[in-house]
Amino acid sequence: MSMKSVLETLESVNSKYLMFHAKTSDTDAGDAKFLFSAKDNLTSKDMETCAGSRILEGYFPAFDATVIAKMREAGGKLIGKTNMDEFGFGTFSTNSGFEIPRNPYDLERACGGSSGGSACAAAVFEDHVSLGVSTGGSICCPASFCGVYGIAPTYGRVSRYGLIDYGNSLDKIGILSAKAGDLRKYIGVIAGRDERDPTSCVQPELKNEGRRMKSVAVPKEGVEGLSKDVEAAFNNALEELRRMGIDVETVDMPSLKYAMPAYYVLATSEASTNLARYVGMRYGRQDGDYTLKFDEFFSGVRSRYFGDEAKRRILLGTFTRMAGYSDRYYSKARQVRQVVIQDYKRVLQDHDAVLAPTMPFTAPRFDDISKMSALDNYKADYLTVPANIAGTPHMSVPCGYGSDGMPIGMQFVADHWDEDVLFTMAEDWEKEFEMKRPEVGA
Amino acid sequence: MDRETVERVARTAHIKLTEDEIRRYGNDLAEILTYFELLDEAPGSEERGINPVEIADVLRNDEPRMEIDPDILLKDMDTYERYVRGPRLS
Amino acid sequence: MKIGLEIHVQLPTKSKMFCSCPTTEAPGPNTHVCPTCLGMPGSRPVLNRKVLEYGIMLAKLLGCRVNDVTWFSRKTYFYPDMSKSVQITQYDNPIGEGGAYYLNGKKLIRITRIHVEEDPGKTKRVGDLSSLVDYNRSGIPLAEIVTEPDLSTPAEAREFLGQLIQDIRHVIDIPGDGERSIRCDCNISVGKERVEVKNVTGLKNVERALTFEVVRQTKILKAGGKIDRETRRFDEERGVTISVRKKEFEADYGYIDEPDLGIYRIKEMAESIKIRESPQKMTERLAQQYGIDQKMAKQLVNTSVELAELFENVAEKHGTQNAVKWVAGPVSSNWKSLETSGADPNSVMGIIDRFAAGEITDTECGIEIKCLMTGEDLESAKGAAGDLDNIVADYLDQNPGIIDDYRKNEKAANKAIGFVMKNSGGSYSSAEVVEAVKRLIESRL
Repeated sequence: MSMKSVLETLESVNSKYLMFHAKTSDTDAGDAKFLFSAKDNLTSKDMETCAGSRILEGYFPAFDATVIAKMREAGGKLIGKTNMDEFGFGTFSTNSGFEIPRNPYDLERACGGSSGGSACAAAVFEDHVSLGVSTGGSICCPASFCGVYGIAPTYGRVSRYGLIDYGNSLDKIGILSAKAGDLRKYIGVIAGRDERDPTSCVQPELKNEGRRMKSVAVPKEGVEGLSKDVEAAFNNALEELRRMGIDVETVDMPSLKYAMPAYYVLATSEASTNLARYVGMRYGRQDGDYTLKFDEFFSGVRSRYFGDEAKRRILLGTFTRMAGYSDRYYSKARQVRQVVIQDYKRVLQDHDAVLAPTMPFTAPRFDDISKMSALDNYKADYLTVPANIAGTPHMSVPCGYGSDGMPIGMQFVADHWDEDVLFTMAEDWEKEFEMKRPEVGA
Repeated sequence: MDRETVERVARTAHIKLTEDEIRRYGNDLAEILTYFELLDEAPGSEERGINPVEIADVLRNDEPRMEIDPDILLKDMDTYERYVRGPRLS
Repeated sequence: MKIGLEIHVQLPTKSKMFCSCPTTEAPGPNTHVCPTCLGMPGSRPVLNRKVLEYGIMLAKLLGCRVNDVTWFSRKTYFYPDMSKSVQITQYDNPIGEGGAYYLNGKKLIRITRIHVEEDPGKTKRVGDLSSLVDYNRSGIPLAEIVTEPDLSTPAEAREFLGQLIQDIRHVIDIPGDGERSIRCDCNISVGKERVEVKNVTGLKNVERALTFEVVRQTKILKAGGKIDRETRRFDEERGVTISVRKKEFEADYGYIDEPDLGIYRIKEMAESIKIRESPQKMTERLAQQYGIDQKMAKQLVNTSVELAELFENVAEKHGTQNAVKWVAGPVSSNWKSLETSGADPNSVMGIIDRFAAGEITDTECGIEIKCLMTGEDLESAKGAAGDLDNIVADYLDQNPGIIDDYRKNEKAANKAIGFVMKNSGGSYSSAEVVEAVKRLIESRL
């Protein structure tokens, strides 16, 4: 598919899959070297940026996110801003103030979240790279559900300037693509120190040595609660890895079970402060009644335009950092993060990566999702959350297909700053694994 | 979570809740917090760990500079004589 | 009665605390703004190095312990002028803790802590009661100094603030209207319960607000009533404090760490920062340390801190006697001529070295110092000064009583000065004559 044909069919493809919140109307790629899309929580000068929230409707940022600027400088043309869970709050991209992207393998199923639109675009368009953002698994989960490669690099590897914050100590910008080679290529484009984001300024250089994994550790805690399809695909993948000459060893990582509650405490505590700025002034929705007193005015706008899950997480996060509760929740969660990091460091002394399935099940149907409770939703993240809370680089690669034909992914977690070993794994794996692309029709 | 706490949290967070929402979020939060009790038994750590990797001593020099024309920033804002419009203060 | 203050001082950086917007007077509302200080989604803070440096200077001035590691916290509250609804401030591990300030050099006022934080924007009301906001001030760096409740009266609180501002001004260059623009939260308890009067601007208003509270609380207590622990605000026009509705101040700031900035290891920075001693402290120290009288110490410091430092250097190397003789003598009396000569007063040390080594005489040393200070030609000065010294010496030989009189009262020198002025026919300036007479009298003491 040429760039021109992608642009010409953008409208009709999008009307089928609903991956884009905003998209280009250009039908000519000009002198672009490649096309890319970006999650809608990354600011773009030429396209509305809402982060999936109606409260931001009408926000046209005055500046490009550093990652978008870098992709453009490298010759990329931004074709669309991808649909997502509001502010990243979700596992299925169903918590959006706008459209909900459809899984390319089955339109009745979710793409995963929260970078669901990005995973969808990466699966549907050929030669397409999409920028995603992960806070608790929002790159790997949709990559797994949509059968593509996805990587979230080390916390601080990629500048977050221009990212609409969810949890500032957790957010990482990464890449989704159907091609393994794109991970190394485009992380190379977007990584690096940026004086506009202090957390990007301590990173060591990104290595490109092609170092191969010799051994991977599979935590017992990571193979519990799996669906039959996922278990079978994962076991086949382990066999394949052994055939490739990689040692596979089962290990104990007792801290992993604490990662989920610790993650939700940290993420919502931070999110509730990040979302405090949305009060109906300065940007986005500005249609409140100014004759109301400020408390009433702010509460009115926020209650009107925040979605259900955003409200839930704001309430949860406000509670967990409140005087009297903060020690039990917020401070303890911060400590648990350190414990999880130590657990990874311990295992990664003897292994090149920690490996487990990315998600415990394949992409669920929308009607099943609607029956899940909030806690059920949170619990679905138990496999992706630990690496995210630890800030360690992690990558989902497609590793099989279920009896329902839906893609299954497995997730490798490497040590801080060691993206190279993940890139190489993806490149080697791609040669062994037979990927089934979805049938795409507009 | 009891009704009083839900209301207090919502007031602090500036979210107005309907009767139905107070009940629903109260139940959800109670269920979630019960699960979070897992944290009580988790081991602690001496390290502060503000970030998952240490971010230390990143500073900027004191040099004034304007990169974006403020007029561009004000373009989509509801303003009056360059002031940003807001609600009543009291 | 116990009074404690939380004092906010704007720090004189050129750019804002977390963005590069200028801090100078803005040409109009919302002209010195950017995505960061407007709190626009996607923006991020980057800390201005100077803010940490100023914070450390103030911590040192107030005798605080500077923490080895410091970081920032998010204080969440909703108000139209707070662009992020979050103020980046410091909660645990602020820059400095546990300091002491001596009011009038005597009374101890304990300093709880000093931290740095960002200022919000400014709001104004309009006709239909809605507000208009100017974010030019948003992100201007502030230092907050918190005292223990060690102040006893409203007048003392005002006096303390006055002295504190004077001292701060010697360390950092706060604007001239610092006294008027200073903002305070005042805590006062006449009985057991503490009342906080928030956001009082200017020294005079601090005293007015506190005085009003003393009267109000005393009246309630006398009538057998109970004081509510509450927050009040000060109405400047009416001169009264007003209770702020409880609900408004039920604020739960829910402090969390600020992950966008990370941590700051400021131990080395703190060690490398030296603060200027306040003139008052230096005067007291010089008098005590070198056993010179308060008057001389004050004269040295008031002439120039640099002169006082030179005095200390000479005293350290060649003893207090030489420092008094040369630095408080010809160096001090010719200090003003440095402006025209452009000489480096520290070169005096070389001359005194040679004097102390016995290479030059008392008289030669005096002349060389003078020439260095004024830029006069050494050879001709030697001739002229030789003449002047001879006239003075002759007079003193003939009137030895002057030396004894001088011991009792320095004014005795005036007699000799008058004589020499009159009999030298205007060849020497009065400064030169005064210097020569004093020097020769002192050499005979």
